[in-house]
Amino acid sequence: MTEHASKQYDLDLDSIRSRVLQMGGLVESQIRRALEAFGSGERALIEQVIADDHRVNAMEVALDGDCSQVIVKRQPAAGDLRMIFAITKTVTDLERIGDEARKIARMSRSIHERGAQSVPLAVDVRHAAELAIAMLQRSLDAFARLDAEAAAEVIRADAGIDSEFRSILRQLITFMMEDPRTISTALDIVWIAKAVERIGDHAKNMAEYVIYIVKGTDVRHTSPEQLEA
Amino acid sequence: MSAPDKLMNTELMQEREAALAPKAEVQGLDFYYGEFRALKGISMTVYEKQVTALIGPSGCGKSTFLRCFNRMHDLYPGNRYDGRIVLHPDNTDLLASAVDPIEVRMRIGMVFQKPNPFPKSIFENVAYGLRVRGETSRRGIEEKVEQALEDAALFDEVKDRLHQPAYNLSGGQQQRLCIARALATDPELLLFDEPTSALDPIATSSIEELIHDLKKQVTILIVTHNMQQAARVSDCTAYMYLGELIEFGVTDELFIKPKMKQTEDYITGRFG
Amino acid sequence: MTPARDLGKIRALIARHKRWDMIFGLCGLLALMIGVLTFSALFLDMALDGLPRLGWDFITSFPSRKAGQAGILSAWVGSALVMLVTAFFAVPLGVASGVYLEEYARKNWITDIIEINITNLAGVPSIVYGLLALGLFVYQFDFGQSVLSAGLTLALLILPVVIVATREAIRSIPQAIREGSYACGATQWQTVRYHILPYSSAGILTGIIIGMARAIGETAPVITIGALTFIAFLPPAPVQSTPPFLNFEWLFAGFTVMPIQMFNWTSRPEAAFLVNAAAAGFVLVAMTLAMNGAAIWLRYRLRRNIKW
Repeated sequence: MTEHASKQYDLDLDSIRSRVLQMGGLVESQIRRALEAFGSGERALIEQVIADDHRVNAMEVALDGDCSQVIVKRQPAAGDLRMIFAITKTVTDLERIGDEARKIARMSRSIHERGAQSVPLAVDVRHAAELAIAMLQRSLDAFARLDAEAAAEVIRADAGIDSEFRSILRQLITFMMEDPRTISTALDIVWIAKAVERIGDHAKNMAEYVIYIVKGTDVRHTSPEQLEA
Repeated sequence: MSAPDKLMNTELMQEREAALAPKAEVQGLDFYYGEFRALKGISMTVYEKQVTALIGPSGCGKSTFLRCFNRMHDLYPGNRYDGRIVLHPDNTDLLASAVDPIEVRMRIGMVFQKPNPFPKSIFENVAYGLRVRGETSRRGIEEKVEQALEDAALFDEVKDRLHQPAYNLSGGQQQRLCIARALATDPELLLFDEPTSALDPIATSSIEELIHDLKKQVTILIVTHNMQQAARVSDCTAYMYLGELIEFGVTDELFIKPKMKQTEDYITGRFG
Repeated sequence: MTPARDLGKIRALIARHKRWDMIFGLCGLLALMIGVLTFSALFLDMALDGLPRLGWDFITSFPSRKAGQAGILSAWVGSALVMLVTAFFAVPLGVASGVYLEEYARKNWITDIIEINITNLAGVPSIVYGLLALGLFVYQFDFGQSVLSAGLTLALLILPVVIVATREAIRSIPQAIREGSYACGATQWQTVRYHILPYSSAGILTGIIIGMARAIGETAPVITIGALTFIAFLPPAPVQSTPPFLNFEWLFAGFTVMPIQMFNWTSRPEAAFLVNAAAAGFVLVAMTLAMNGAAIWLRYRLRRNIKW
């Protein structure tokens, strides 16, 4: 886009956008470390993930404050308005993803404290989580480049994670029926899988906001077929 | 309809087209100040009982366009219109040379940028349009003046001093008096030429409130420098640049999702 | 922290600049005083000279061969009647022309030429008007050496003044008022009738009175058309008790006016007549001042309710 007559306005918007991406990076590393902790059970890492969530929260608060500043000072319209509007929502979704990462860390702690011998379906969960992280990355990427095509792909990818989640759930039920001693651990894993599935949902939301910024159309609650049109 | 498709291809606009009657249709309007072509091929529709805002940078021709509607340009030599402005329901072409500009002005009222009450009493200001129309019945004039002042949300403030000079009123009250003056003769279309540019924010919001109420009884066309004002008061907005109509559409849509990049640049402050 | 400015330097600069303010102020005051004092001295001198003759008799007596009995009755009545005729013709013609030029006439080269000529006419020496009037009114129209001829001549003389004053007054009305009126659906005449004339009346009246004040002191054109210098009778009264009550014979009567009476007396050898001239001069100046005073008062009255 061309520049605003007011340079300061451009600077303000640029700073907000780059800090959204920073927040995205932080959230992504939170998920990664939570997953690593899930695999290794390393206590210090788990505690760090939980402790670092406040940084994510603080960034949400700061970005929301900056967005209201821009609204008050500049009365953004059209593309700028959609950008600010989408950013406040994106920031909320990122904060939720941060919460999910903390949830994964907590569940990992409880699994490893229990000293479970085997962690069923750890590989499947990790695979679903990789998908979710990829979705998050591509959402952020689409946001950075204002690429509606890439965003649309993210939205389509969400169905994959959903089916992964359902398949994990089915298999866990089988485990629990076969060996009731695994129920506690299996339930924790259900929670982790659910968190991964939620991360995918949040990433999809963020992709929808990108489409809103670029095209001005609200694609929430529309099927992928309609999206093609 | 008359306007190019690119300007009206949205669902919202189509919905509005279906629900509303056109009050005035501008068809291929060109306007010349001497040799200078100030308006270039403008086509758009003003819908009945709606507020239509004209926005654009200084010198884009929005006021010039507005003043075509009541043939204000006829007051000065060397001006020329081309094209048509058809006023419904009687399909009169306001710009036709056979149509007397006075007839046009009797149907279309106007409120100016700076409040311009006459140096007469409040009552006489509002009564002027009626006197010009040869109204002589004292009671008739009194009733209509009172009604117009009521409609302009001014009556309560001035009812005890109707015969005092209008110049004793505040700027905002003067502007509402000018609105009352225009309303007294029951116009079909009311033109506002940046009506709040000389007023403070409080007076501005009272005028905006008034415009909002008035659209129940009259079609309104308003030129404004203030984009937020256009967003607040209007139903449809037209963006003009260098004498051309760049985009015309439903206000909510134009301010959130304009079709044309030029419009986007202007309303987001990227104009330079 | 920004370094402290050199305040001493700034103050010295201001003081230097202010000295010029004072120097010009003094020069201006001096220039003004030269004019005011000269006029005051002349007026006082005249008043003192004429004082012994000023009195009711002086105003109600006809001129006489004896300086002690001579008065200005026929002169001021003549002046008043001539002014009446002047006003009767100059005002409607001047105002109508001014309104037409400002409000109706298309702005093109013809109106430009007319405009320039009107401004120039205001500067034409008054004796030229006298010559013109002698040919036109006195001989061509055969009005004779009468009140009517003099009135018409002076009307012609002040017509440009009235036109210019009218145009200036009309031009000072903001365009927004006109547009407001036209936007209400008014015609040109309605706009002129309800707005232009009422709002410009103060300026127009001022112009008229200033023009009349100039006319009342004019001597040359009135002499040119042949005003009498010695008159011991009054023109027939304009009002009479028998139908048709109005009598216009006075229009064609011979007459004299104040400045001519003065001129006449100053050319007499006897010193006593000079006293008479001074007294008449005092009355003439008083009449002029009264007219100007009226102009100021009217302007104040009429402008009170008009603000732009």
